[in-house]
Amino acid sequence: MKTIGAEHIKDLCTGAAFLATGGGGDPYVSQLLAERILHQIGPAQLISPEDLPDDTFVVSIGMVGAPTVTLEQLPTVDEAIGALNRYEAVTGKQIDAVIPFEVGGGNSTIPPFVAAMKGIPCVDGDGMGRALPEAQMMTFPIYGAKPTPAVIMDAFGSSELLECADAISFEKEIRAKAVAMGGMVTSVEHGMTGALVKRSAIPHTLSFATRLGALLRQHDGNIDAIEPELFALFNASDYGVIKRLFTGKVIDSRRKIVGGYDIGTATLQSFDDSNRRMEILIKNEYLVASIDGRTVASVPDLICILEQETARPLNAERMRYGQRLAVFGIGCTHHYRTAQALSVTQPRAFGFDIDYIPIEEIDFP
Amino acid sequence: MRIGIDVGGTHTDAVLMNGMEIICAHKALTSSDVRQGIIEALDQVITEGRVDATAIEAVMIGTTQFTNAVIERKQLSPTAIIRACLPTGSGIPPLCDWPTDIASALGNHGYMIRGGYMFDGRQISPIDETSLDEAITDIVHSGVKSIAVSAAFSPANNAHELKIASRLRQRIPDANISMSHEIGRLGILERENAALLNASLGELARKVVSNMETALAERGLRCPFYVSQNDGTLMSAQFIARYPALTFSSGPTNSLRGAALLSGMQDALVVDIGGTTLDVGVLANGFPRESNSHIKVGGVRTNFRMPDILSIGLGGGSLIADEGASVGPKSVGHRLVEEALVFGGSTLTATDIAVANGSVSVGQPSRVQTLDRAAVERATHRIHRMIDEAIDKMRPNDAPVPVILVGGGAILVSRELETASRVIVPDHADVANAIGAAMAQVGGEVEQLVSFSRHSRDRVLADMTREAQAKAVAAGAEGKTLRVLDIEETSVSYMDGDAARIRIKVVGDLRHSP
Repeated sequence: MKTIGAEHIKDLCTGAAFLATGGGGDPYVSQLLAERILHQIGPAQLISPEDLPDDTFVVSIGMVGAPTVTLEQLPTVDEAIGALNRYEAVTGKQIDAVIPFEVGGGNSTIPPFVAAMKGIPCVDGDGMGRALPEAQMMTFPIYGAKPTPAVIMDAFGSSELLECADAISFEKEIRAKAVAMGGMVTSVEHGMTGALVKRSAIPHTLSFATRLGALLRQHDGNIDAIEPELFALFNASDYGVIKRLFTGKVIDSRRKIVGGYDIGTATLQSFDDSNRRMEILIKNEYLVASIDGRTVASVPDLICILEQETARPLNAERMRYGQRLAVFGIGCTHHYRTAQALSVTQPRAFGFDIDYIPIEEIDFP
Repeated sequence: MRIGIDVGGTHTDAVLMNGMEIICAHKALTSSDVRQGIIEALDQVITEGRVDATAIEAVMIGTTQFTNAVIERKQLSPTAIIRACLPTGSGIPPLCDWPTDIASALGNHGYMIRGGYMFDGRQISPIDETSLDEAITDIVHSGVKSIAVSAAFSPANNAHELKIASRLRQRIPDANISMSHEIGRLGILERENAALLNASLGELARKVVSNMETALAERGLRCPFYVSQNDGTLMSAQFIARYPALTFSSGPTNSLRGAALLSGMQDALVVDIGGTTLDVGVLANGFPRESNSHIKVGGVRTNFRMPDILSIGLGGGSLIADEGASVGPKSVGHRLVEEALVFGGSTLTATDIAVANGSVSVGQPSRVQTLDRAAVERATHRIHRMIDEAIDKMRPNDAPVPVILVGGGAILVSRELETASRVIVPDHADVANAIGAAMAQVGGEVEQLVSFSRHSRDRVLADMTREAQAKAVAAGAEGKTLRVLDIEETSVSYMDGDAARIRIKVVGDLRHSP
């Protein structure tokens, strides 16, 4: 893909919902907005990280806040472009390209349309390769990018410049500001050179999600028919590994909010053996999956769930008793395999007392 | 005594009831002249029940006329929309996600002005009076009389919608106005779409009400009449003209409510098997469990509260193939009485299997006696497994549930269902819809985004309950009979201080007319 236009957005959103591992919110409004803008002004240029000149200046952009607020406060046309322009005015730097910080969910659609509006390329890649809840879990800061200076802007055009010591304090600061500014802001952050993007970004995830979304809509949503192509797609990508972990129905799903996070446990029963159970731990996203007490996949590897009859990605908020599901485990890219990356993304970083074992090292029948 | 009438797509059902007792019931094909159909139904039950028209205290009507108008894009009025939201929302203007045919039927009169509220109760902006006046002037020039009004967070604070509506009324005294906070819940896009559909049906609604009034008057009925809503409660005649869209799914709702009343069960699954499809719905506390997802009406995304219904392709007319291993989803439908083997046709259907396995005797059983026994057994097994799977997807957990079986295809069930603790097949199940309409109650509902850091949870719930009760009484409920039907509490993630979305619903019996 050399460009990304209105005609790609629906596929991108479907693929992004799969890679969101149960989180990322409802992408409907983001989809509408991106389709409308790209339809009006034409597609954005999509550039692979390896094609970026080393001295290009790239920023990451997306929305931060409470998804519930966007039910009522719909996005503006000019908040994203306004935030980019303000960033340039405040820092005195010219932005040459934008990159999503999170391909999983609605944040995948913002960089393409804002790039088209500004007439600059959008980098085909992101800082997660999935959805994750906090800024320090992005590959950008893990590989040396500084989150700040960052500019956040609300729908009124009010903006704030954030300067934080590190990604963890940035995460705290931006959450507090988002609430104070009405619940949702657009953030321009992680200014990087092209050289740093090459080192820190997970490449090709926008074009990958678009191909993935198109695939999930084929074969009338018949998962068994889709699966060979799905496996081929992932096996040939930087994710590398994909396994069907479980096929069964939800027999229990409990949720509660603790410390602002949606924490839940879902239990699935296998179709092949009614004594076989899968348990999934959920904190916004699907984070740990175990079968009969044995962990079979854990964060930062991806746990992605499709509804069995439609092959539609299932958001964790919609999980309930009786749903028939196919659960896939997918290897995270090499970016998350270092000790430093794992220290902020392994199960313990989410408060689960479980060791991370790479999915390809787990024996699985 | 009450009369309940359900005007469905295929049949118009009517029942005459004295309290909980069914005096007589009538079923006829729905005629293209709905008014005439209602008159005939009234005549039938009044004559058969041998009652004087003055003994009828109320008539309750369930109707699909408004849903059909939206689906067919017929009789919809040109409709404008004013949304108070700016500066938020400029990226998603009103009507932007509508199918073009229905958007053009309404005329694409969308306006956005500054205004609306935020999650914490602050204003996004005061109403921009100048832009509002300009929008209204534009609407006056276009001659549009039906107008929807929406504002950000209006379910939590309706002041801006009220202000816009009052300004509209000043300048367009005969305007038909729908405010979104009266129609839908949180989710401005879907709520505004719902208000737009509602406003576009206003003119048709006035016609329908006047037709119904004439029909009743012609038969000497001076009692009030009511129309049943999506949530299983009633609205009085004067409200229908204002809220026609709230009838969109009254058919399935009345069927579920009727099944509850006929069986005496408050908590059960209702399995309605027709000729082509099987619908499963859930009764909780005597009312249908509502769907949590967005529901499209005529291609327009809305957030009306509608019953959560699972439909699968299994019915009396389902085709049997692969030596009984495959059942449906194709069906002979209403041609069952010509095409099924037992009715002299040449197609093997689920009804033929029910006759062949001896569970029922209809048509000519001799015509299915030569069928392969193993294939009959396979198909019988398959049919029961399909029903079990549909029930399993809808029950709240894996405990067996009571199942109420209604509809003509109920004859397919002859064996035990693994998912069912027991199976109830009530009498008069064929007119469950009309009974659901006749016995409907009156409700009131409040929904808000609240923060318990300001007021205690108990106080918030008590205040909201009082508000819901006041709404129910205003809608015609008897105060003494009110009960809280449902409190739904959803925590809000990524927000400080115990934020939650709360919805409270109360219901009560209809107050007797003085």
